Amino acid sequence: MITKDEVLAIIYAAMESLNEEFDEAGKIALEPETKLFGADAMIDSLSLVSVIIDVESGASDRLSFPVVLTDDRAINEAVSPFTDPDALANYILMLAHENA
Amino acid sequence: MSHSVVLQGEYVNLRPLEASDAGATLAWRQSARARLLNPGASSVEEQAAWIEARPSIEYNFMMVLKSGEAVGMLSLIGVNMMSKHGETARFLIGNEDADRGIPVAVEAMKLLYGFAFDHLGLHRIFGNVTSDNMLMVKWQKYLGMKEEGRMRRHHFINGSFQDAIILGLLEEEYRDVSLPRMEALIKMARPSVESEGDSL
Repeated sequence: MITKDEVLAIIYAAMESLNEEFDEAGKIALEPETKLFGADAMIDSLSLVSVIIDVESGASDRLSFPVVLTDDRAINEAVSPFTDPDALANYILMLAHENA
Repeated sequence: MSHSVVLQGEYVNLRPLEASDAGATLAWRQSARARLLNPGASSVEEQAAWIEARPSIEYNFMMVLKSGEAVGMLSLIGVNMMSKHGETARFLIGNEDADRGIPVAVEAMKLLYGFAFDHLGLHRIFGNVTSDNMLMVKWQKYLGMKEEGRMRRHHFINGSFQDAIILGLLEEEYRDVSLPRMEALIKMARPSVESEGDSL
């Protein structure tokens, strides 16, 4: 079973890939509480889509089932999976447990 | 010749680009964020003259927040009603902070696609993105566009030639892929039921 640290590593890899597009001032912190979307978000919607694509790809490869992060279920979660890396990791872990 | 089309969304409206927008749009075009776009006018007067000279086959829009603040620009150009196609162009978020946390860019593109496919009845739109602009290429593909080709060394930007990646979207791809994904991203920005409850 995948661990939360492993899921966070997938998310941070996506954020690191995004950071390669920015200069030092524009880079986002690879931390569990970095705001991804909503109030006080650190990234714009172009960047968010980049993170979604890379996390879906990385998580699907690791978990061997298609991880979809913008379906009705993800969108209707009481706490948005895109609040921060911690919330996103928790959501992916939940999917992993259900598909175990 | 300007148009009079106004498109209203949940977070952003699109209104016609006017000569009075020359100062703001010139500043955006000269910002670091626009480094991967073709260079344009070099003065406000030139920019205003360029805006006033837009032909009737172009729909040039300003993205305006509900507060009235202008935050970017977006165009549908080269509209061909015989072949029913048009080109998306001049897509630029000028105010970077405005697009953080709310789906300004996504909704603006959704409004433009809706105008192109639902109002004008086009069956295809296309555009080209500088090959170095990988975030934009990735974004457009996620929202349904398909890579149709590459024009080698097509743009001279920042002192070097860059390829232009040609992206295209057919009407059925818009309805099957673009629209659901755009609506999902817009819905994600809405306050959750939990936080809405806080105001009760």
